[in-house]
Amino acid sequence: MVEAAPIARSPIAQAAPTTIKHGWEVSARRSAADLKIIDCTPLAKILVLASPDGEVARALGVPFGRAARDPHGTLVVGSGPGEWLLLATPGTSPAVTQRVDEVQDEGLVSVFDATHGRAIMRITGAKAPDLLAKVCAIDLADEVTPNGAAFRSSVAKLVTDVVRDDSGGSRSYLLHCERSSGQYLFDALIDAGDEFGIEVDGFVDPGKRGVHRV
Amino acid sequence: MTAQTVQKAVMPMRLDHRPGEVIDRGRELTFTWNGEEYPAYGGDTIISALAACGERIFSRSFKYHRPRGLLTASFLDPGCMVQVDDEPNVRGAHRRVEPGMVVSPQGVWPSLEYDVKSANRAFGRFLSAGFYYKTFIKPRRLWPLYRRMLRRFSAGGRVSAGPAQGYFDKRYAHPDVLVAGGGPAGMAAAVAAGRAGAQVLLVEEEYELGGHLRWGNELDALRVLREEVSRTPGVEVMVNSVVNGRYDDNWVAVMQRDLSHVQERLVKARAKTLVVAPGLIERPYVFEGNDTPGVILSTAARRLINLYAVKPGDRAVVFSANESGDAAAEDLRRSGVEVARVVDARRDGDILRAKGDGKGLRSVECADGAEIECDLLVTAAGWTAPTSLANMAGDRPVYDERAARFFPSILPEDLLATGGIAGDGTLDELLAHARATGQEAARRAVRTALRLRAGIPQRADEQEEPESGSSPVAIPELPISAHPALFRGKTHGIVDYSEDVTSKDLVAAEKEGYDSIELVKRYTTVTMGPTQGKLETVNAVAIMAEATGRTINETGTTVWRPPYSPITLGALAGRNFEPVRYSPMQPWHEIHGAKPLVAGAWIRPDHYGDPASEALNVRENVGIIDVTPLGKFDLRGPDVPKLLDHLYINRWDNLEVGAVRYGVMCLEDGVVFDDGVTGCLGPERYIMTTTSSGAAGVWEWIDHWLQTADPGWRIHVTPVTTAYASINVAGPKSRELLLRLSDGLDLSPEAFPYMRVREGRVAGVEGCFMWRIGFTGELSYEVHVPAAYGLHVWETLMQSGADLGVGPFGVEAQRILRLEKGHFIVGQDTDGLTGPYEVGLGRMVRLDKDDFAGKPELAWQSERDSRLRLVGLQPHDGSLVPPEASQIVENKNEIVGRITSSRMSPTLGRSICLGFVAQHLTTPGTKVTVRLPDGERIPASVTPHHAHYDPEGTRQRG
Amino acid sequence: MILLPCPYCGPRNASEFRYVGEVSERPDPNEAGVDEWRTYLYARNNPAGWTTEMWYHSAGCRQHFVAERHTVTNEVRTSRLPKAPPRGEQEEQATGGNVAVDGGGAIY
Repeated sequence: MVEAAPIARSPIAQAAPTTIKHGWEVSARRSAADLKIIDCTPLAKILVLASPDGEVARALGVPFGRAARDPHGTLVVGSGPGEWLLLATPGTSPAVTQRVDEVQDEGLVSVFDATHGRAIMRITGAKAPDLLAKVCAIDLADEVTPNGAAFRSSVAKLVTDVVRDDSGGSRSYLLHCERSSGQYLFDALIDAGDEFGIEVDGFVDPGKRGVHRV
Repeated sequence: MTAQTVQKAVMPMRLDHRPGEVIDRGRELTFTWNGEEYPAYGGDTIISALAACGERIFSRSFKYHRPRGLLTASFLDPGCMVQVDDEPNVRGAHRRVEPGMVVSPQGVWPSLEYDVKSANRAFGRFLSAGFYYKTFIKPRRLWPLYRRMLRRFSAGGRVSAGPAQGYFDKRYAHPDVLVAGGGPAGMAAAVAAGRAGAQVLLVEEEYELGGHLRWGNELDALRVLREEVSRTPGVEVMVNSVVNGRYDDNWVAVMQRDLSHVQERLVKARAKTLVVAPGLIERPYVFEGNDTPGVILSTAARRLINLYAVKPGDRAVVFSANESGDAAAEDLRRSGVEVARVVDARRDGDILRAKGDGKGLRSVECADGAEIECDLLVTAAGWTAPTSLANMAGDRPVYDERAARFFPSILPEDLLATGGIAGDGTLDELLAHARATGQEAARRAVRTALRLRAGIPQRADEQEEPESGSSPVAIPELPISAHPALFRGKTHGIVDYSEDVTSKDLVAAEKEGYDSIELVKRYTTVTMGPTQGKLETVNAVAIMAEATGRTINETGTTVWRPPYSPITLGALAGRNFEPVRYSPMQPWHEIHGAKPLVAGAWIRPDHYGDPASEALNVRENVGIIDVTPLGKFDLRGPDVPKLLDHLYINRWDNLEVGAVRYGVMCLEDGVVFDDGVTGCLGPERYIMTTTSSGAAGVWEWIDHWLQTADPGWRIHVTPVTTAYASINVAGPKSRELLLRLSDGLDLSPEAFPYMRVREGRVAGVEGCFMWRIGFTGELSYEVHVPAAYGLHVWETLMQSGADLGVGPFGVEAQRILRLEKGHFIVGQDTDGLTGPYEVGLGRMVRLDKDDFAGKPELAWQSERDSRLRLVGLQPHDGSLVPPEASQIVENKNEIVGRITSSRMSPTLGRSICLGFVAQHLTTPGTKVTVRLPDGERIPASVTPHHAHYDPEGTRQRG
Repeated sequence: MILLPCPYCGPRNASEFRYVGEVSERPDPNEAGVDEWRTYLYARNNPAGWTTEMWYHSAGCRQHFVAERHTVTNEVRTSRLPKAPPRGEQEEQATGGNVAVDGGGAIY
C-alpha cells in the first residue's frame, strides 16, 4: 500500500523555490518590490449562509459589502446578501466553523469549509489600485471603496470577490475566485501589473506575523 | 561649410528659431521617405520634416489619383496619409519622426511622381457620383478583373499579413470631470474643476496642451495656463490621446497613445460630467483646383511656421475671411514669404481657381480677373464646430447664419460645452466661460457622485455628507461673431478630399433625386472617408442647400457617430481576457502528454495518445478519468426535496440518505435542459451534479426559482464544482483498486451497492465522498475529494493500481464508452427542441407531481406521438463510421432523421451510433439509409436498445 | 454602456448583468391552457417606453431584480427585488428582504 502524506496544492503554480507549510506546497520566494502578489490559497476559508437579520449575522457583525477582523483575527467578509466568507490561519477551519455553529439562530444556517473551493491572492502596494483599474470596472477611490470594502464584480472577465484590506499603511486587495480559475486570475494580474514592476512573494503563515496581517 | 549651412542645404524651407517651435534642433535624425534618406529634427512630424526639405506631394488621391500635398498640417490632413514600416494609413502630419523610420507613400502606382492612374482624370465621367453603383457592373463576367484593378487603385496602405505587433492595453477610469480638448478653454475648465475639488481627466489629441495658442501670438497666456494645469492637484493629463466616443450614462472611450510601454490603450471612463472643448476645425473653401499641392488652410500655414519653423512656400496669395487668415498673412511676411496679394472675403474678394502642374500650384485666378503667379495659396474661409460628442449624447446641432457655423443646441445634464464650439470672443472671455463651465461641471459631478454612492453597500460610514446645497454656477454667454458664409465659390472643386467627391458630384446627385443629405452621403460617399466629415460635412450641407433651394438648417447635417478618430483593432481588442479553468490534476495531465480539449472555459485531457486503448483498458482492467468539471452543488435545508421535485421531471421526495438518483431537467418549454445524478448525503444535505457545460445555467435556474417564485423554501445552495476534484474509477478492477486506498470503507457490493453514496477517507484524505454510478457501463466509483488533494489522490491511484493495469482515460475514451452503453449527452444527442419522450425517458416523467418546471408542456407531449425518437443504429458495414450530423433519408431525399453520435467501438470492433429517426422507423431491425456528407448512402439498422454493449447493465451493477 | 442599479450592489455596468426579460406572470401549471402557457413562455410587449423587466446580477450578488426601464432613453426609474405572489406559507426568506431603491428619476 503506497500512501504518502497528502500534500495540499493551490491551483496556482508556486514560484520556485517551494516548501511545505501547514501541509500546503507554497513558494519560499521573498520579494521587496513595491508591488507584490501573494498566493494566499492556504488560508482557511469558511462560507456562512444565514439570514441577514438573524443571530449569526449579528454575531458576525459585518454587513454585505464590508469586511472586518473579529477578535480572533479572522477576516469576516460580507460577500453577498446573507453570505459571509471567513478567512483565517491555515488549518483553523474546524475552530472557526465551531464558533459559528455555536451561535443560536432560528433560521437556516449553513457553514461550509470552502478552503478547497476558492483561490485567494493578495496584491499589495501603492500601485495596487492602478493595477486593478486595468482589469476591474469598479471605482477604487476612497469615497466609493474605502478600506474594508468588499464587492463582487468582474475582474479580467472573471467573477471575483475583492476585499480592500490595507496592510501596514499600504493599499492592499484580496481577490478570491473559484479555484479552477485561480491560475488564470493570477496570470492576468501579473500581466496587468508588469508595468508597475509586480513581483511574486511567497505565502507566509500569518500566525507568525500576527493574525492581523493575514 | 558650417553645420548650419549644411542643414540649410538639405532643409531649404527650414526657418530660423521660432518662439513657439516644438522641434528640438539639438536632436537630428534621419528617416526614409519614398526610398530616400531625409533629415529631421526631434519633434518634427513626418510631413513637417519633408516640407522643410521642400517636398510638396505626399500622396495620390483616392479616385482620380491627383497629386496631393498639405492641407491642414494636422491629424486630419487627408493628403498626408502614409505607410510607416508595416503600419498603413498613418497620419503623417501628426506622427512624429523616429530615427530610422521607413515611410512610403500610399496608393501610388508605379510611383508618386508619375502615376498612370491619374489618367483617370480623362475618364472622370466614369467616376462620377455613385460610380460604385453604376460602373463595373456589366458585363458580369469581367467582375473579377474589375475587382483586381480597383484594389490596385485604392488609396489604402498595405496591411501586414504577419502576427499582430505591439502591446495594447485597457484600463477603467472614474473621473468626476472629463474634459475633451486641451486648448485654452479645456485647460481653463480642467483647472477650475480641479480647484473645485473634482478629479479631472484632461484629454488632448495633439502632443502638447495649448490648442490654437500654440501657433498664435499669446505664448505668455499659454505658459500660464500650462503651469496652472500642472499645479492643480487632481488633474490627470493625457496628450496624444483622443476622446473617441460618448455613450449612455457618460461612458466615454478615450484612446491613449502617450505611453512608452504600450502601443495604444483604450481607457473606458465613466465620467460624472463631460466637458466638450474641441475648439474649431478650419473649413476648406470649394473652388476649382482647391486640392492642388500648395493650397493650404491658414491654420496649416501658422502651424508649419510657428510650430515646426517651416516656410510653406516662397510666394503666396492669402484668401482671408477672418483673423486667422490675417494672422497667417502676417506670419508669412515675417517668415520671408512674399505675400503677393491678400484677397479679403469680407470686402467681397474671391478666388476662382488654382492652377498647377504635376509639381504643385503655379498661379491663382481671382474673381476680379487677376492671375497671380505663386506657389502657395492660403485660405481662411471659416470654421466647423466638431459637435461629435454632443451629437453622441443626443444633441442635434443648429446652424447660426450670422456666424456661418453650427452650434450645439440642447445638451444633457451631464455634458457641457465650452470654447470655440460654444462661441467666440476674446481670450479672456473664452477663459471666463471655460472656468465657469469647469466649476459647474464639478458641481454637477458632486451631485452625480452622491447619487451613485447612495446605492452602494461598500462605504464604512452610513452618514453621507449632505449635498452642499450648491446652486448652479452662472456661465457667462459667449459672444458670437459675424462671419461671411463661404462654402463654395463660383467654380466647382473638391468637397471631400479623402473620397475625391466634388461639388459637381453633389449637384449631380441632387439632380438624380437624392435630395436628402443622408442619402447624398451614402450615394456619393461624401464625408465617408478617413476625415469622417470633419473637413467637409458643412460644405456638403451648404452645397446641397444651394442645390435644393433650402436653407442650411432645413437641409440639416449628417449624424456624427463614434469613433471620433480612427481606432486600431488592436486597441479595441486590448489585452485578451479569456478566463480558463483547470482541474487540480492539470499538472499531471500536462506531464503525461494529454491532448488538451477546450470545453467551454475548461481545458480537459481529450486523450493521452490512444483513446481506443484507454477505453479497452476500462473494459478489461481499470481506468481513471478526471471529471472535475462536472457541475456540483451542495444543497442544504429541509425543503431540498421540494426543489428537486420542482427542477427534475422525475420523483425525489423519497430519496433516502445514502442513495443517489439520476434526474433530467426540463425548462418551462418542456425541452431537455440538463441531466445528472443527485445524492442524499445526510438529513437535509444533498449534492447535485450537472453536466460540465450546464453547471452555470443550472445554478442560475435554481436562483431563478428560489428568488423570483419566492416559494418560501428554506434551502441554501452553494456551488462546489471546484471544491472537489472528481475522479471516476471505472472497470472490473476498480473495487480492488479503491479497496487499497479507502480506509475503513466497506466496498462490498452488499454494503455499497449500485446507485449509493458513501463518505469517508481516501488515500489519507478526509472529507471525500464517492458514489457508484455507471456512465461507462462498468463497475465504477465516482470519487470526489477536497480539491487541494486532488493531485495527491490521482497520483496515489496511479501508483497503487500499477499491478492492476490502471491507466488514465480522457474525454474521448469516455465518449466511446458511453456510446457503447447508449447513454445520451444533453446538447450532443439532444437539441433545442428535444423533449424527454423523444430520448426515451417518457417513463421518468411524473405528471402526478403537483408542479414542476415544464409540467404543462410535458403533459401535452405525453398525449401526442413524438416526431422523432432516439435509437441505437449500426451501419451494416461495421468499418464505416458515419460522421455525426449525417442525415437519415427516405425515398429520394426526404430527411427522416440524423446521426447524433458515432464512433468506432473498440470493444465490439465495429461502428456504433445514436441517432434520431422518425416514428415509423423505430422498430428494432428496421433498415434505414444514412446519407453521408459526401452524398454516399449507406445502410444501417436500428438496434433493440440504445446500448450496443451490455444492455442488461450487469457489469455496472456488479 | 448603461449603468443598472442593482438593489444590493448599487449602480454597475450593464455587462455584469444578464437580461432575463420582461416580467411575465407564470400561470397555474395545472389549469393553464396551451394559449395561456405559450403566452407566458413567448409573448412579450416590447414597448417603446416604460417596461418592467427582470435582470440577474450574474457577475455580482447573483440576485434577480425587477427594474422599470425606459427602452428609448434607457432611464431606470425603479429597481427592486422580485416580489412574487405568496405561495403557501410565507416563511423566512433565504436571501434577505425586499430592498427598494428609488432611482429618483435619474438615469443612474
